[in-house]
Amino acid sequence: MVPTSPSPDAGAARSPTLAKAPPAHGAAGEAGTDVADDAAEAGGADAVPGADPATRRWPQAAPPDGIPRSRMLFIGVICFAVWLLLDAPSLQRSAVTSPLGTRRTVSLDVVGPIAALSRGLGLSHLVSWADEALGRTPGGGPALAKRLHPALPLAGVGHTAHGPRPTGPPGTPTSTIPALDQHPTAANPLRVLVMGDSIGIDLGQPLVADLSATGVATATLDGRIDTGLSRPDYFNWPAELGVDLANDRPRLVVVMMGANDPQSLVGANGEGTTAYGAPGWSAGYGQRVSGLIGEANAAGAHVLWVGMPPMARSDLNAGMQVLNSVVEAQVGTDPAGATFLASSAVLGDAQGNYTAYLPNSSGAEVNIRTPDGTHLSPDGGERLSQAVLTAMRSQLHIDLPG
Amino acid sequence: MLFPTIDFAIFFAVVYTVQWILNPYPGPWKAFMVMASYFFYAWWDWRFIFLLAASTAIAQVGGMVIHRSVGGGRRTALWATLAGLIGLLAWFKYYGFFGVNLDNLFHSLGVGRPVPLLAITLPVGISFFTFMAISYVVDIYRGVLKPARAIDTAVYLSFFPHLVAGPIVRGTELLPQIRRRRDERHVNYVEACWLISAGLAKKVVLSSYLSTYVVDPVFADPRQHSALEVLAAVYGYAVQIYADFSGYTDIAIGIALLLGFQFPQNFNRPYAALSLQDFWRRWHITLSFWLRDYLYIPLGGNQGSEWRISFNILVTMLIGGLWHGAAWTFVAWGLYHGIGQIIGRQRRRARAARGQSLEPAGRGRVALARFATFQFVCFGWLLFRANNLETVREMLSRLFVGWGPSPLVTPLAVCAIAAGIGSQYLPDDWLQRVKVLFAARRPLVQGGILGLVLLVITTLGPQGVAPFIYYRF
Repeated sequence: MVPTSPSPDAGAARSPTLAKAPPAHGAAGEAGTDVADDAAEAGGADAVPGADPATRRWPQAAPPDGIPRSRMLFIGVICFAVWLLLDAPSLQRSAVTSPLGTRRTVSLDVVGPIAALSRGLGLSHLVSWADEALGRTPGGGPALAKRLHPALPLAGVGHTAHGPRPTGPPGTPTSTIPALDQHPTAANPLRVLVMGDSIGIDLGQPLVADLSATGVATATLDGRIDTGLSRPDYFNWPAELGVDLANDRPRLVVVMMGANDPQSLVGANGEGTTAYGAPGWSAGYGQRVSGLIGEANAAGAHVLWVGMPPMARSDLNAGMQVLNSVVEAQVGTDPAGATFLASSAVLGDAQGNYTAYLPNSSGAEVNIRTPDGTHLSPDGGERLSQAVLTAMRSQLHIDLPG
Repeated sequence: MLFPTIDFAIFFAVVYTVQWILNPYPGPWKAFMVMASYFFYAWWDWRFIFLLAASTAIAQVGGMVIHRSVGGGRRTALWATLAGLIGLLAWFKYYGFFGVNLDNLFHSLGVGRPVPLLAITLPVGISFFTFMAISYVVDIYRGVLKPARAIDTAVYLSFFPHLVAGPIVRGTELLPQIRRRRDERHVNYVEACWLISAGLAKKVVLSSYLSTYVVDPVFADPRQHSALEVLAAVYGYAVQIYADFSGYTDIAIGIALLLGFQFPQNFNRPYAALSLQDFWRRWHITLSFWLRDYLYIPLGGNQGSEWRISFNILVTMLIGGLWHGAAWTFVAWGLYHGIGQIIGRQRRRARAARGQSLEPAGRGRVALARFATFQFVCFGWLLFRANNLETVREMLSRLFVGWGPSPLVTPLAVCAIAAGIGSQYLPDDWLQRVKVLFAARRPLVQGGILGLVLLVITTLGPQGVAPFIYYRF
């Protein structure tokens, strides 16, 4: 990043100019004039340059082009008023799906009447039309999503018998799913769906690649940042899974989510709130886990649920331990339909506690977590991906090369 | 607090109003601006305001001591101050990287694992305010700047528009503006509105789209993607990082203008550069010139033997690479650009010796120079973006063997990449005409236009905004 200049064009290498008027300075050897002036003006370390010491008033700068600050404020107010009026329904949807609390309440109180006015005047159609044109569902959840498709063709799709279409609501786990093909081949590969939140994406990206590299499996990743099972009013994973099951026809669903779930449970339409930590919370969350597993099982897919890793933040770590125990207990009720893999055994230290570094296969320490102490680094994701492959071989008895 | 959020809009509305009310009163204005900036920074993690305060205190006390010292004491005071500032940066940003590599080195030599491996959270923007603090004390040492009052230094280092991702504004540029009263009758709103709108569009629409739909999927696993998709991801990342970083800078400069401040230009059509040297005069300009003035020139600059000059270039670029991140890929990226700069220098010397022009002559040669420079820079972005050198190798290999369908290369993706590159060649007068047309409208109409622009940006952008790439630096 050094604009190194041999003598012929040294003069061209000026310091950056200011956004409008350019009192350029800064380059050693070129900076003398401006900076010397400034230093001379400063008049000492403790003096406000050019100020009248008696009044401590500002020296006046030469007036540039522009408008009074009050007019700028007026323009800004009009700008936000127009935007708010036209976009209020979208803002209202965002507020509805935000975490419960004072902020959400205030947002709804402020935006609600404006959204009603916008709808009443028919102004909200502008954004609705744009959403339709862009193929988006208004309020349909996070757009910061990752979806990786298999490179290999989905051999056998459309020919495999699978269960009835999922209905979404929690159901009872069933163990009537067809047994997993334990000897997949390139011609008849094992179809895997990986789904989860941002940490699920950290696992899913290397896992999709590793499964593909076996040559006998194809995988699809459906990852959604900032999602989980607590807030289907924000993003409805059971409904999303239904679509994925219909499209991808997986025989194995790998699930990893939960980091955003230590919060109140809310229904898909914003109803039936159960506060986080309340007596019914664990049971309610367990039902949602059970519903997701049942939905996959009903479509003929086994579920491999990967537990959340230990976290650097103690409160989040405690929440993840609660979540893992709920999921593990739920999976234990129907071992034929689901399998639990504890990631703390893979990503934790000898005691299963949080650690940012672990030795790799050659003994070198590698960083397995990102600096936020929550997500997985690429090495951490790869490590967990290999553990999933191992679990598929040892616990599900699938014959995967490698 | 991210710029493109409701949180920031509310914060800025309050700050804008109060700071102009306090504008006639220097003391209260400065105290308010420091509080507002610290509040802005605490929004990420309140604990790090102590780090910002510590950096400010080190720079302030060090600057005073350097200014008052004479003879060898000045040099000692300078090194002590730099050690304090760089020590904080090294601890928070580089301990993990060097710690684990040293630990593995000791382990491979059979002397155990003596280096404790710690997980240290990287404070947002630490590289930026540390470099600003360094420039402040070095300028005092060089005698081109006198120590400012403590409150002025606090405003200078914490001023929220530049705090977390630059531009790297020097004391000689910002302190005079902090000291004098800003003219509340002449807010440069046309430029500010343009910069903020353009910055939001680049970040929220262009960068987010390319990142989500093209770049991230391919870099996550090149093995799953065709040659065409890999190519689209490399060019897409070139546009993404430009849109992301220059978008942030545009917004920062625009916000500063609304507060009556002028920041240095940080980008100037970098993908229209004619050479690598030209590129670094156009890309992250404030960092380029910082490295030149506070690292390259102190190392000896263009003085000495060709070997020495090449060494100076290489060291500077290497540190420039490490500034962006503590990983081997950034080291490789810095070396890559360093070697490119050295080759470019030798080529210019050879042309000068033959009496030939240093700049390409004729449209064909200009186009060829621009094309070659862009390709060189894009290959560098591959090193910059990849998680590790294995990903780089895989991406390159896919370019030659990855024949197959390319579902990610949609017409929209191609248009987005073309728009990002094409924007570098927009004529200046077109932009000026737009600004003149806007300035001629009534304030009510101007507000309405800006509201519609904001609506288009928020509608086209995804829900939720990914953090700016340069925050992590």
